[in-house]
Amino acid sequence: MDELLQALVQGFFVGSAYGLLALGMGLVYGVSGIVNFAHGDFVSLGMYLCFALFTAFALDPYVSVVITAPVMIALGAVVYRFLIKPIAGRQLLMVIQLTLGVALLIQNGLMMAFGGQPTRAPSMIESKLFLVGDVVIRGAHLVACIVSFALAILLYVMLQSTDIGRAIRAVQQEPRAAALMGVDVGRVQVMTFAIGVGILAIAAALLLPGLPIQPTQGLRFTVITLLVFVLGGMTNFVAIMLGGVVIGVAEAIGTIYMTHTLGQLLPYLIFVAIMLFRPQGLVWRS
Amino acid sequence: MLEMQGITAGYDGVPALRDVSIAVGRGELVGLLGANNAGKSTLINVISGTVPIMSGRLILDGEDISNVGAQRRVELGLVQVPEGRLVFPQMTVRENLLLGGYNRKARPARPANMDHVVSLFPRLGERLGQLAGTLSGGEQQMVAIGRGLMAGARVLMLDEPSLGLSPLFVQFIFEIIDKLHAEGMTILLVEQNLSLTVRHADRCYVLERGVVAVEGPSATVADDPRTRAAYLGM
Repeated sequence: MDELLQALVQGFFVGSAYGLLALGMGLVYGVSGIVNFAHGDFVSLGMYLCFALFTAFALDPYVSVVITAPVMIALGAVVYRFLIKPIAGRQLLMVIQLTLGVALLIQNGLMMAFGGQPTRAPSMIESKLFLVGDVVIRGAHLVACIVSFALAILLYVMLQSTDIGRAIRAVQQEPRAAALMGVDVGRVQVMTFAIGVGILAIAAALLLPGLPIQPTQGLRFTVITLLVFVLGGMTNFVAIMLGGVVIGVAEAIGTIYMTHTLGQLLPYLIFVAIMLFRPQGLVWRS
Repeated sequence: MLEMQGITAGYDGVPALRDVSIAVGRGELVGLLGANNAGKSTLINVISGTVPIMSGRLILDGEDISNVGAQRRVELGLVQVPEGRLVFPQMTVRENLLLGGYNRKARPARPANMDHVVSLFPRLGERLGQLAGTLSGGEQQMVAIGRGLMAGARVLMLDEPSLGLSPLFVQFIFEIIDKLHAEGMTILLVEQNLSLTVRHADRCYVLERGVVAVEGPSATVADDPRTRAAYLGM
């Protein structure tokens, strides 16, 4: 029973960060209709940027975000403007191939810069543990959860009640009409992609404490993000966060109750099961 | 106020309009008629800046705006209410209207424009919180026109506002057009419906396969045999 509670709590906390990863993907998909297969490699890049700042200046990942987020936002804008935009709207497969190419570029770039050995960027909060009843809560998980939900709410409010948020949704729903109302559709697309990548910089720092990193890990994040993204019905914010929690909990339960390999399979099994019975995802309002 | 001088334009180097010249005076209600594919939508998209001009000039208030971008043209008050309404379905009526007032020039005037739109369409006032996608076609047309007014239109370009509406709504929409006309709004009305348009417009142009076939005061255009020929493609 204690173990189950432990798994639920831990899964919920980590899952909220997965939800955040998928929000970035959902935002970009909604506005530009593209699925970025380099998503997880941008997370990877964010983590290595934190690692580099740690080795160079002994900066804590939570502090490094102040630097990595703007850098990644700028990178996102450049990647969209000069790589994705020229072929967006053409064959879907072309965009997928392009982003896969970006993924390999990042992976190998990281390999060249940092070598293939797993490494870590320690955080001051990493070893902090709290005991609530019999449940152990890791400080880093708590921070990840709070920041993820805070960011999700912030994004939601931004989309709902600011001019730029309305412009983003307008481009999502009816790009032609948005353009006729004076919205610069191209700029909105670049901006949302940049925001999406910026979110990944933050998510990277949240997931980093205690996690060994290696250059080839990106695909794992991409796959988790895709699971959550699809579970959440691709654009529904609340459902995406919920999807993140579902996958996080499945992962935690798998790790605690099952052997290593089988445990890692559990999120996928649950995903397949949910897709079989609710192909529209976890959305309740279409 | 707005003038097209010998404009040839089209997509991918294929002209859909050839050497078209039209003029819309301040406060005028001008009808743009023609059969399907005559180039009516292309013409207002040229004015909106979403179809490139190959040759000719577009003049607004005496200034050549041929090379001005689409966003800037909205700020200048050239606002299109697109065919098929194209409301933002997952946004409320209020949000649709607010987005209409997105451009920099229109933002400060949003509260006043909103009051004006609600006074024109009391029905929208009752449905401000409703998602636009759940409205009837006629109500969506009201949202689309309201959105255009929110953008601070000085020249309101309506593309087939009667398309797909019940006769009752068509009548209502034309009453609104008359009302805006009476308030002094400059209107370019694209329509397929000949008899309805000539009854409301001051002047009309009839397009046929990308060229102006007939032009003049509505009554003359209506009686001109070439008008009928343009429609029948003879």
